[in-house]
Amino acid sequence: MTSNSSQPSLRPKPLDALVAAVVIALAVVTALLFYLPKTGGGDQLTLVITVGGQEQSRTPVTQLPDGPVRIEGRGGYTLTLSPSYSDLPFSPEWSVRVSDSDCPGQDCVHTGAISRAGQSIVCLPAQVVISIVSTASDVDAVLG
Amino acid sequence: MKLNPRSIALCAVLTALALGLSTLENLFPVTLIVPLPGVKLGLANIVTVFALYELGAVPALTILAARCLLGGVFAGNLSALLFSLLGGFTAMLVMIVLKHCRGLSVYGVSIGGAAAHNIGQMAAAVITLGNTMVLGYLPFLLAVSLVTGTLTGFVAGLLFRAMRNIHLSH
Repeated sequence: MTSNSSQPSLRPKPLDALVAAVVIALAVVTALLFYLPKTGGGDQLTLVITVGGQEQSRTPVTQLPDGPVRIEGRGGYTLTLSPSYSDLPFSPEWSVRVSDSDCPGQDCVHTGAISRAGQSIVCLPAQVVISIVSTASDVDAVLG
Repeated sequence: MKLNPRSIALCAVLTALALGLSTLENLFPVTLIVPLPGVKLGLANIVTVFALYELGAVPALTILAARCLLGGVFAGNLSALLFSLLGGFTAMLVMIVLKHCRGLSVYGVSIGGAAAHNIGQMAAAVITLGNTMVLGYLPFLLAVSLVTGTLTGFVAGLLFRAMRNIHLSH
């Protein structure tokens, strides 16, 4: 054998578990960093409301009014948009839902609350689209 | 390691083997079983582990660099070159350090290398994309690297056992 060569031990040793534990800990830490709800700062979410294909308002979620907002949709329908705030762990601290609508289908009400970038509520009869967009880049996938 | 014809030839053979293994694993994508894009078995890492123990750090690094460059040329995809270079060299660095830990077997070194490879590739992704959102993918890759690292460690172990009777690098 040359001077540099050395035989590794081929059977698992107790310290190997330590390496595995470090890798798992790293995975858990990065997972927590990225999949826990953000507490302030971070990416800026913007609520975009579109009626009949035309953008009506674009408001950062931090500047939304505390109470419900009325949206006049097409066809004479009116939607009530209600923000809600939560201090509970593992739930988004801010979310918005259509709490009331006089449209026939009620799909927008049944969609429930949205809180993350990319989510949206659509009301077809009133032609209203309520969506959350992020100012941060929203890359879905990178193929090498 | 002395730079004699035998060791040069050995480095060349190992480089060819690493290239062959990476081409082979591209033919049988693991993504069919584990539906995560970018997940690979890392068969070429077996060669890296073997070279690191059998020949030392410098020849192993040379083999790694040759493998990445030639692999980039073969694949015709230069954007992938940064990924494989950063991943490969991070893995190599970690394995050189871990190799000196007496309490570790080939499994620990291999798992550490596999995890470091993913971290290096993530760094390349962050550099090319210019944002850190992709890091959210790291936990999944790290979890998979535990399995692939154990697997390549096992195969490298088989290789070492077989080589004990051959004395290739005299």
